Amino acid sequence: MILRELREALDDGGLRGSFLVRDLDTGDELSIDPDIEFPIASLVKVPLALATLERVARGELDLAGPVVVRPDQVAAPGPVGLSKFRHPATVALEDLLYLSLAISDNAAAEAVFALTPPAEVVAELRRLGHDGIAIRHPMVDMTRTPAERFGPDEVHLAQSLAITAATAGRGHAVPQLDVSRANSGTARAFVDLLQALWRPTTIRSEVAAQVRELMGNNMMRQRLAPDFTSDVSRWSSKTGTLLNLRHEVGVVEHADGQTFAVAALTESRVPAVVQPAAEALMGRVARALRDEIRAGRA
Amino acid sequence: MDVVAACKAFVAVSGHGSFTVGAAAARIPQSVASRRVAALEEHFGARLLDRTSRTVTLTPFGREMLPSARRLVELAEAMAHDAERAKLRPFRLAVPAICTPRDLAELVADGRRHGLNLDPHPADPGERAELVRTLEVRAALVAVPPDHATWRTTLGLACHAEPRAAVIHLEALRASRADTSTKRRVRLQPEDDVPHVRDQVTRLRDAVGLQPAQVVVSSLVTAAAEVLASTDLLLCSRAQADELGLHWRPIGGLDLARGYDVTAGVREDAHRIRTSLSTAIGHCLGAR
Repeated sequence: MILRELREALDDGGLRGSFLVRDLDTGDELSIDPDIEFPIASLVKVPLALATLERVARGELDLAGPVVVRPDQVAAPGPVGLSKFRHPATVALEDLLYLSLAISDNAAAEAVFALTPPAEVVAELRRLGHDGIAIRHPMVDMTRTPAERFGPDEVHLAQSLAITAATAGRGHAVPQLDVSRANSGTARAFVDLLQALWRPTTIRSEVAAQVRELMGNNMMRQRLAPDFTSDVSRWSSKTGTLLNLRHEVGVVEHADGQTFAVAALTESRVPAVVQPAAEALMGRVARALRDEIRAGRA
Repeated sequence: MDVVAACKAFVAVSGHGSFTVGAAAARIPQSVASRRVAALEEHFGARLLDRTSRTVTLTPFGREMLPSARRLVELAEAMAHDAERAKLRPFRLAVPAICTPRDLAELVADGRRHGLNLDPHPADPGERAELVRTLEVRAALVAVPPDHATWRTTLGLACHAEPRAAVIHLEALRASRADTSTKRRVRLQPEDDVPHVRDQVTRLRDAVGLQPAQVVVSSLVTAAAEVLASTDLLLCSRAQADELGLHWRPIGGLDLARGYDVTAGVREDAHRIRTSLSTAIGHCLGAR
């Protein structure tokens, strides 16, 4: 059976993964451990954008509203975007959302969290019927991991710590990796959220369209995108990366109208920071699940 | 006076009733036999043998003394025998399971020349340390980090088909993004399943982006079989590669070695092995 083969491939590659692929029109799905809770890292930017846009639609916030971002005051610096700016910048809320989803800009997300704090995001999600995703912290608490305390030659030590310091019941000595303390969710919860965005029922259709558009702009295309993009398919997604966690959730829309939601949440037991093979493996597994569903449908 | 030698002469002469025959039986000249018996008589201040007739007979004092003289001679012989036995008692030495019978035979032969009756006991690293801890062996060749070792064996990678390069880089085993079908593995022997070797290999494996499953520990026979039948690589010494008929190359960017030292229950034993058998042991370990 294909699932056993894929599980073996994941194990060989040092990944423990939670995968769920769902045909959004038929509801057919295939999965590997889809209900394991993971810290979600930057995936939180999707519900953050959704909640913020819902509030905009209700008139509580203004998309054109200017936000001044001062580089020296950014508490959650990231590798790209506003946190790399050397001078203060005035950015509209709508553009902050774009930066936050397109290049996973932590400083932009932090600025949005200042307008829509975690509790507000949770309240919005609950109102829309999505309580499978726990959001407890803004960006700043999420990025202060042990990795920052090691020098460039020692980052594998932070990775080793992330891999070995787990406790029973998916707890962890590192708070950002402890599902009971970090922002967390399951592959199933994210596929449900994607379904709600692509086939909106409770979410306002214009808000859903805006989030879809933002996810379509995602520039982080090294993980699942190579396995899902072509001239006749469109891949919209969001990645999340923290220490040994590598996630991506997205939707592939084929020219013939078939649409699949994909969630791949993984943790690696390989203490290396750069792991293109793990990302390729994630893509391979997600693709194999999608192909299997599609073959069954045809 | 050598009482034991004198008693030997006395017992021999009295037993054969003749100085000539008795001395010959004791393998000493007749003059020496007479002198020794005379010395014994002087020591005790009484005659042991009556030399007046043609044959030599015991005096009454000699008859009284003969049993204890005989006991003394037998005891001396038993002691000499025990001394020989003690010197030849087998010296159990735990050795790496990777040593070849021929190298071990040469080690044992070399030990004999140094008065050691070695009994090699092949075992894996963890077991060797345990055997010497529980005193089941007198000494063990234990695996230690190479920078503190008495013997050092450089490790490299060996494969079936002769590689073009003079050095094998582990990164070459990384599958390219376009080709995920071939997955060459590095096979480790139980002898190298120790932190100072295994952890360095896994660290490099992770750093160059190999999959965890691309480094495997298995028995030497299994590993060699896989290497002969595929493009897999065996982590081994050059001597092992020669023995298995494989092509050996150093590992690019990684100076990896097995290190060995002697641990013994008695410090003197360790010192003895380290000094007198150093070359033969080095040969067994493939240290060059």
